[in-house]
Amino acid sequence: MRHSRQTSTARSLSTTASRPAEPVGEPQEKFTAAPPINFAKEDAAKAGSGDEKNIDLGKLRVVPASPSYFSSKPTFNDDFVSLSALLRKVSALPTVPNSEAPKVAWKTIDQYRIMTNEPVKTQRYHKMLHILRRLNTIHPSLMPPEVAEAMKRYKKASQPGDVRPNPVFIDEMGRAKGVGRRKKSSAVAWVVEGEGEVLVNGKSLTQFFGRLHDRESAVWALKATQRLDKYNVFALTQGGGVTGQAEAMTLAVAKALLVHEPALKPALRRAGCITRDPRKVERKKAGHVKARKMPTWVKR
Amino acid sequence: MSSSTCLRRFAKSSLERAVQPSIASRSLISPQASCFSTSAPRHALPTLAKASKGPPPKKGSTLILKKKKAPAKAAGRPPAPGDRKAMRKRIVLSNNNALEVAGLQDLKETDALSGISEGQVKGLPEDVVDALRAMEAFKTNQGWKLFRRPATLIRKETTELAGLLKQAEEEKKTVRRVFIGDRMSGKSTLLLQSLSMGFLRNWVVINLPEAYDIVNAHTEYKPLPGSHPTQYTQDVYTANFLSQIVKANKSILENTQITTNPSLPLPLPAKASLKQLAELGIANVETSWPVFVALWKELTQPGLPPVMLALDGLAHAMRNSEYLSAQVKPIHAHDLTIIRHFVDHLSGKATLPNGGAILAATTSSNNPRVPAFEFSMQVAEAKRYHPDNIPQWNPYKNVDQRVIECLKDVEVLKLNGLSKEEARSIMEYYAASGMLRAKVDDKFVTEKWSLAGMGNIGELERAAVRLRI
Repeated sequence: MRHSRQTSTARSLSTTASRPAEPVGEPQEKFTAAPPINFAKEDAAKAGSGDEKNIDLGKLRVVPASPSYFSSKPTFNDDFVSLSALLRKVSALPTVPNSEAPKVAWKTIDQYRIMTNEPVKTQRYHKMLHILRRLNTIHPSLMPPEVAEAMKRYKKASQPGDVRPNPVFIDEMGRAKGVGRRKKSSAVAWVVEGEGEVLVNGKSLTQFFGRLHDRESAVWALKATQRLDKYNVFALTQGGGVTGQAEAMTLAVAKALLVHEPALKPALRRAGCITRDPRKVERKKAGHVKARKMPTWVKR
Repeated sequence: MSSSTCLRRFAKSSLERAVQPSIASRSLISPQASCFSTSAPRHALPTLAKASKGPPPKKGSTLILKKKKAPAKAAGRPPAPGDRKAMRKRIVLSNNNALEVAGLQDLKETDALSGISEGQVKGLPEDVVDALRAMEAFKTNQGWKLFRRPATLIRKETTELAGLLKQAEEEKKTVRRVFIGDRMSGKSTLLLQSLSMGFLRNWVVINLPEAYDIVNAHTEYKPLPGSHPTQYTQDVYTANFLSQIVKANKSILENTQITTNPSLPLPLPAKASLKQLAELGIANVETSWPVFVALWKELTQPGLPPVMLALDGLAHAMRNSEYLSAQVKPIHAHDLTIIRHFVDHLSGKATLPNGGAILAATTSSNNPRVPAFEFSMQVAEAKRYHPDNIPQWNPYKNVDQRVIECLKDVEVLKLNGLSKEEARSIMEYYAASGMLRAKVDDKFVTEKWSLAGMGNIGELERAAVRLRI
């Protein structure tokens, strides 16, 4: 007989170290406790049985829902034990190499601590992650639903591959479109097969970019892969300055070129045409002359 | 400073002594005490300027930790007056470090106007180079100084123009063309090429090197008597212009005698040659304009070779000049006699009876905003290249009607980028000159061609020869 009267608010009476009241963002785990004692029912049962003995509430023995209740990290212990049991159960299933297993973003230790509201040690958590990774290597076609369900609890809300880029294609005119950004500038470039003609906002490369360096930046994706004589480019750029527009075009042309030739991705990455440069102007701060510059020191 | 003060003090005390001898005698013993003038003691102890103790720095002023350095003096002498300008304007036509290009052929009289050398680089013969130099047809910003000797690429537009010149020569027609195109697309060079074709074909070649120099009020001017509305002559400029004409067309002018009887303020010997006529204007600056008019009249007599008249920087000739009239109103460039002469021929108002060419090039480097001129060029370009879409002038805006009238039916020749074959040809020439150290193959040519904005020749030269990294 369980006579636990624990509710979710009564958890603050636990013996574990005090923790912040309600973490924001992560949902609190539902703590399942023993059902409350219905005294009326108890009384009726007692009357029905004809047993005249009084229940001494002070002598009731309360048994917690989990055997780990008296440990310092009950939820974590339960998780670990259940995952270990699950692994024991499914350990005979065939596996794939770790590299071929589906890519999963597991919760970080901090996220797990917030979820369970327990001071889990990093090493322990890593041990659990080890089990999880082993479970993840079960051959995907044979993955038991209970394992998939159990693993869901430890995955991040968003997984790699969740956000899929819009499909890229070459349209009926043979154009491939790419968009690139740098600083405040953005550029849209259309790449078609041709013989190296470039138009930026309707002007030739020399008319639009005065510096040779900027011209080279604008078509760098083609130049680095030696495709300058095989494609024509027309681009629209806006915002920012000249260099920003040129470097935004680098990315735009590279993306459009990848539509034509996806195998060029490593070469383009080596040429620095894939990664967007995230640097922007740092904001000015109060008390500073610029973002970081301090006013000149004055003696008096 | 202090020594001069002391000297002044001595002078002063001696003066006082002269005026007041009694005091002066005593002042010999103790000059400070006895002199009643207050000025002497005031001068006696010149207060030393306190070197270091100024007022405390004002609040908010910056702390200066470094001592101010005197500006570094340039080693040696500054250049003499005029040297800097001479250096700036110097035309260098050869580079001893560049290699002699084997197999570079000169442009010849026979093939100058035929299209057979299209796409080839041709050298300019020495006498033509001399004449072009005399005409100031070479510009400082062109790349002549990079190569052993002047040579040009005969491009598609050159051939087109050569065809026109040939037609003009054979049918005694007047070709009127304005060269338009992007910056560094070779407009002035095309002008130079046409001038050299004219020299090779023994035309009378007259070149106004820069319209800006005529209108920028750097030469003296005066009203032309008897003109209405008033026109203005520029005598010094015209005399210099005449001397350029004589230098460039020496043989023709020497061998041609005067046939008309010009009424000039100065006497001419009987049976004088045209050279003598021109030299009259050069020697007597004030008669230079009547002499030019007489010379032009002589040159347009039947039986003489065709005339080529060229001008660079046309936009400057289509706006108000920097000159002011007696009423302190700006003088329109068309009221300057030299410009007027050119513009009359360009507009077709005056023709060349022996045939010839009136050529003008626009400029993008020193390009004034002249809305009427820009519009006229747009219209002319549209008429030639896409006649279904001719722009209209905004009727609510004022327009310089003289410019519109003048350029009403002028034709343009637009310079586009080089083709890849032409680009390859010129880059092989660069490589043969040793100025381009790269293997000239298709890939290299296409890369430079693309980066030069689809074959803009100036940019091509810049990317291939000048900006070697």
